[in-house]
Amino acid sequence: MDEVVGLAPSGSMGSGYNLEAFKRGVSLKPHFIGQDAGSTDMGPYYHGTGRTFLPLATYRYDLAIMLRAARELRVPLIVGSALTSGANVSLEQAVELIRDIAREERLSFRMAVINAEIDKADLKRRNAASPLESIGPGALTDELIDRCGPIVAQMGVEPFMKALDAGADVIVAGRACDDVIFAAMPIMKGYDPGLALHCGKILECAGLSAVPCDLAEPLLGRVRRDHFEVEPCNPDHRCTTVSVAGHSLYERGDPCLQPGPGGMNDLTASVFTQLDERRVKVSGSRFVPDETYRVKLEGAEHLGFRSVVLVGIRDPFMIRALDGLFEHVRERAESRFGLAAKGIALNFSVYGRDAVMGKLETAPALEPHEVALLIDVVAPEQELATGVVMFVRGTLQHASYPGIVNTAGNMAYPFSPFGVPLGPAYRFAVYHLMPLADPCECFPMTIEEVKN
Amino acid sequence: MAEHTQTLIDLAKVVRSKNAGPFELTFDIMFDDVEKYERVKKAGVINAHRIAEIYRVRLDDVLVCAPYDPAVAFKITIRRPVGSGDVTDRDVYGCQQHVPLMGIVVP
Repeated sequence: MDEVVGLAPSGSMGSGYNLEAFKRGVSLKPHFIGQDAGSTDMGPYYHGTGRTFLPLATYRYDLAIMLRAARELRVPLIVGSALTSGANVSLEQAVELIRDIAREERLSFRMAVINAEIDKADLKRRNAASPLESIGPGALTDELIDRCGPIVAQMGVEPFMKALDAGADVIVAGRACDDVIFAAMPIMKGYDPGLALHCGKILECAGLSAVPCDLAEPLLGRVRRDHFEVEPCNPDHRCTTVSVAGHSLYERGDPCLQPGPGGMNDLTASVFTQLDERRVKVSGSRFVPDETYRVKLEGAEHLGFRSVVLVGIRDPFMIRALDGLFEHVRERAESRFGLAAKGIALNFSVYGRDAVMGKLETAPALEPHEVALLIDVVAPEQELATGVVMFVRGTLQHASYPGIVNTAGNMAYPFSPFGVPLGPAYRFAVYHLMPLADPCECFPMTIEEVKN
Repeated sequence: MAEHTQTLIDLAKVVRSKNAGPFELTFDIMFDDVEKYERVKKAGVINAHRIAEIYRVRLDDVLVCAPYDPAVAFKITIRRPVGSGDVTDRDVYGCQQHVPLMGIVVP
């Protein structure tokens, strides 16, 4: 059969996957194993610090299984967005994990490592020559670039194709657009990019597009000349036209037009056909290249340091008095610390009332019998953040309010210590498109012969 | 007729919200019954004006609001009032912002 078969163990590396189903996937002789290992989804902290979302041991566990399988099959293992942000520091940790597994398992292979972190001086030059277009935050400035942690670019299929062309058995890449991890091999072999990218988009979340929907269920995709097919590796699970079409909606702004590096994948004419109980065939997806090849940059700006206090409140008079008390305590903190002048943010969130939705909350204001209060402070230094949050909680603890009956203390602490320093706080501030003359120019590749 | 007045949660199988990147919030309303989907579609109650009103955003901050037949679903995307994980954001994944949609009345 004229096809490229890709196997996706899981939608999120490090969270584990169904190993029985993975074995079945491996028995279907895929041409490569692909794994997405990063996202912006967990918020700006991981892009800001370059730290990984999970402990390294969890990634090692997942990687060891897929690396062994790929070497037994003699097919490439392709990992993208390693690890979490795909910045150099976390990419190097992923590479070290793979070297370590290879030593332990006595595996030898050719490994391509592709970086995705952008040189800040180069970025400033490019932005000065022609300001980069924002797709969310404000304009990019030199000062903003300096305040950011590592800035990464989402690579397209081209750096992966280059690595495959160089004969890589294992490809570990920094930040990459998630679908290209799975689209690179089919496109390199001449298959339609629209179909390859659409299939990649479904594979990158693995079993999320099957029924029952589960990120930890491996999925198999077959890209052919005029269509692709997807099938869950778990024999008890199935793909349906609705589950597969529905996945085009997931985490995407538009169900039909999906922009990526170098162009737009247009799913307007995609046709979903049920082949049997468990397999769905898709045709008609079409890639429309942009006139200028552009990649998406991501970066998070350092704002200061966060400290929090979390308490419970049960007294009905206190619960009724909360908003007035917050105002009073904020004034006290303002005169003690100069919040506005020092750029200190103080936020109160009342769980059980309106913390999750804030101003968007539409529920009628019923009186809860118990609430959790999160006091959240972001300040220029960690000690100052803790100082402010502890001052605020201390003032609230013994504040008086109308109808007070319990004068011994207003808040229940779930644990000691009370004030918890959470480390640096960030905000996504770089989410811009950068034109490239060559799709590989920001993504240097090194080849390493791993020998054991 | 009174028995025909239902809300979206009575008809839809899935009502979900999630980030589409750090600066957009996207909603999927999915059905397991084409008739129910067609009924909501025909009623025209899911439209950009209604979404702007519910989420208190400007009309041009509603980026997408359309039915998607292949998935028997509606797709809605708005600009996030606050970026994911920004200082005052309290829903980093954006996955708990769907509730107001459940109450949309379908005649």
